[in-house]
Amino acid sequence: MKHHNRSSIVWLQGLTCNGNSHSFLNYPSMDMFSKVFKILHHPQINTPYSLEDILKTDAKVDFLVIEGALSRSEKILSRFGYSFKDILDILSKKAKYIICAGSCASFGGIFRLQNEAKIFGALFSGKEKGGFWFNNSKVINISGCPMHPRWFVETLLKLHYGDKLSLDEYRRPKEVYSYLVHHGCLRNEYFEWKVDCKDYGEKEGCLFYEHGCQGPMTHANCNKILWNSVSSKTRVGSACFGCTEFDFPRLALYETKKHMSLPSAPYGISKRAYYSLAGVAKGFKIERLEKRLIDENN
Amino acid sequence: MKITKEIIQKIEGEATLELEWENNKIDYAKIKFLNFRGIEKILENRPFLDALLITPRVCGICNTSHIIASINAIENAYVNMGIKIDITKKAKRIREFALNAEKIQNHIKWLYFSILPEILKINGEDESSIRAFEGKEWIKSQKACATILKAMSIFTGQWPHGSFCMVGGVTCDPTQGDIYESMRYIEEVEEFCEKEIFGLSLDEFISFETSIQIKSTNGNLKKILEVLVDKNLNHMGKSYDRFISFGNNSSLKNPKKCEATRVLNADINYVGESLLNSFFEPNGYTYSKSAIYKNRYYETGPIARMMIIKNPLIRDLHKRNKDSILTRIIARISEIAHLILKSKNLLKKIDIYQKSCISPNIPYDSLTSVGVGYCEAARGSLIHKVEIKQGIIKSYDIITPTVWNLGNGSRENPAVAQKAIMGLTSPNDADLVFKAFDVCAVCTTQ
Repeated sequence: MKHHNRSSIVWLQGLTCNGNSHSFLNYPSMDMFSKVFKILHHPQINTPYSLEDILKTDAKVDFLVIEGALSRSEKILSRFGYSFKDILDILSKKAKYIICAGSCASFGGIFRLQNEAKIFGALFSGKEKGGFWFNNSKVINISGCPMHPRWFVETLLKLHYGDKLSLDEYRRPKEVYSYLVHHGCLRNEYFEWKVDCKDYGEKEGCLFYEHGCQGPMTHANCNKILWNSVSSKTRVGSACFGCTEFDFPRLALYETKKHMSLPSAPYGISKRAYYSLAGVAKGFKIERLEKRLIDENN
Repeated sequence: MKITKEIIQKIEGEATLELEWENNKIDYAKIKFLNFRGIEKILENRPFLDALLITPRVCGICNTSHIIASINAIENAYVNMGIKIDITKKAKRIREFALNAEKIQNHIKWLYFSILPEILKINGEDESSIRAFEGKEWIKSQKACATILKAMSIFTGQWPHGSFCMVGGVTCDPTQGDIYESMRYIEEVEEFCEKEIFGLSLDEFISFETSIQIKSTNGNLKKILEVLVDKNLNHMGKSYDRFISFGNNSSLKNPKKCEATRVLNADINYVGESLLNSFFEPNGYTYSKSAIYKNRYYETGPIARMMIIKNPLIRDLHKRNKDSILTRIIARISEIAHLILKSKNLLKKIDIYQKSCISPNIPYDSLTSVGVGYCEAARGSLIHKVEIKQGIIKSYDIITPTVWNLGNGSRENPAVAQKAIMGLTSPNDADLVFKAFDVCAVCTTQ
């Protein structure tokens, strides 16, 4: 299974909605991708080898991609007549890198909630270390529900070319996950001056105070590179639900959790600093920010 | 009697067909979906708005239809409590537009990833042009899918898993420029479809009244029609010749059913779910439930929609071939043309000065009610039912299109796809008939 200088990929699906596969299929330059990578097997798509072929061959695989939450229980998770545990035991040894595509494979995600003792991510079970493996230095997490196709492809490119890849404490590429969703949000000014969004479906106001937005504490560059190259959740007036984080999906997603009527402080900012500044900002009424952004009558 | 197992690959998820053979014919078929994620249970005891985020995760390819069915169910719960929900035409159009874009993407993926490879194989042709990730035609189709999803994401924020619906409307507030931009993307996809799939303009195609007219075109649609007819496969895969579609969009407002060619009103209250043969009952063998209407099986999906709205081309195919794979496949492909033209029309009609969302003025935790919501997803009618007590979900029930088509009945009363498969003489034929339904295993066993 040598393919010139292309890196080989085998894609597996655990407990999943297939959303990461479909997100990957949005990648705008698939022809370029195929010059560098060769997908030997993908369960949904017409690829050259079956899972059985892959399991039987001695050839190495550069990237083993896992989409979906995992389980060691044969009853919970089997594929094509094999227990998923057996499939992973065989393929993880052959793989140079294991790429967890999405939050389910990274942390367990939504489907972990069905059975938290038996369903988990590859290295993590929610926040706790220890998922399918306790330690596996081959694993790289590309969390997100779904992951963005660029996060995935660009990580693979770095590994293919041998460029430096720094990872954060959840083994996610720092180049993507050092940003916060808040960065590049079009409603930043409303956040600065503490102007709440009055109703859904308007361009004005911040969704952090009442509508559950997790943008200031969620690691991802969504508002830098945009989704489907054109937009993002916050750009269409929807809150960020923190889908790249270990605790996704939180309970009461559309509500802002408050302590003594105050929302949590943004990531890495002390409560003292945040509440002092917020108090001052809230003390001013900025007339422009109370008006419509596009004021047709004036 | 011999029993064989065929694992169906290259579909959304995984399914196993267990075929029982008698005199070289398939005597009975069991359709098994063996993976289960338990979304309905995960939703219990959460605030009801959480459903808008969690139900799309039933399915990576039809997540928009789940958010639409979910918001419809929630809004219906408000209405059942006597609270009026006003939705502007703008919000309605944006919701329908998003749903259409998702269907277009779905049908193109099914055509290029699932069906064309089979057709080329049957015809003994070289498959290299549609080889995944590399073939020229495959890449063009993948680009078209990514482009139609851009047109949609301008309103939904992203695909998959956008969260643009809210009680009383949508969360986005597009500018006129956004609408032009979206139109530009649709027109790109229209060009792809005209050139590659239909081989003529979409306006001309939708005016077709007989299948003979397809012979004068030059695209993949014509190729598929010719191969199926040449290889004598056009009568294969017939089922009950009974269709159902709940509509709830600008093409079909109210639920209808169709017995052969006769269209009648349908009522959502007669929809039932059977647990027969599922793991939820003794001796079950699949996680799939089966949807039934007045205890009878009905087919849902593009063929049902086209038969119900009396589309002349599909009615003509049906006259000659009944509900065979030919009619089923051509209906699904034809729908792409109708959806693109409809979507352009919807975009043109969006009035940006209308309100996007009119939120009902009551606290979420005062809602105690039940609601039913439905919409037409790519594979057919999707139904969500929710029971809410003081703002918290007590129970949630999802009936996906695939459980209409791919459930399991009994030998005497087989479900839709089972009946279509029984009597076939080769596993390859069974595979093709099965794929013509556009199988989605993830939806089936949410």
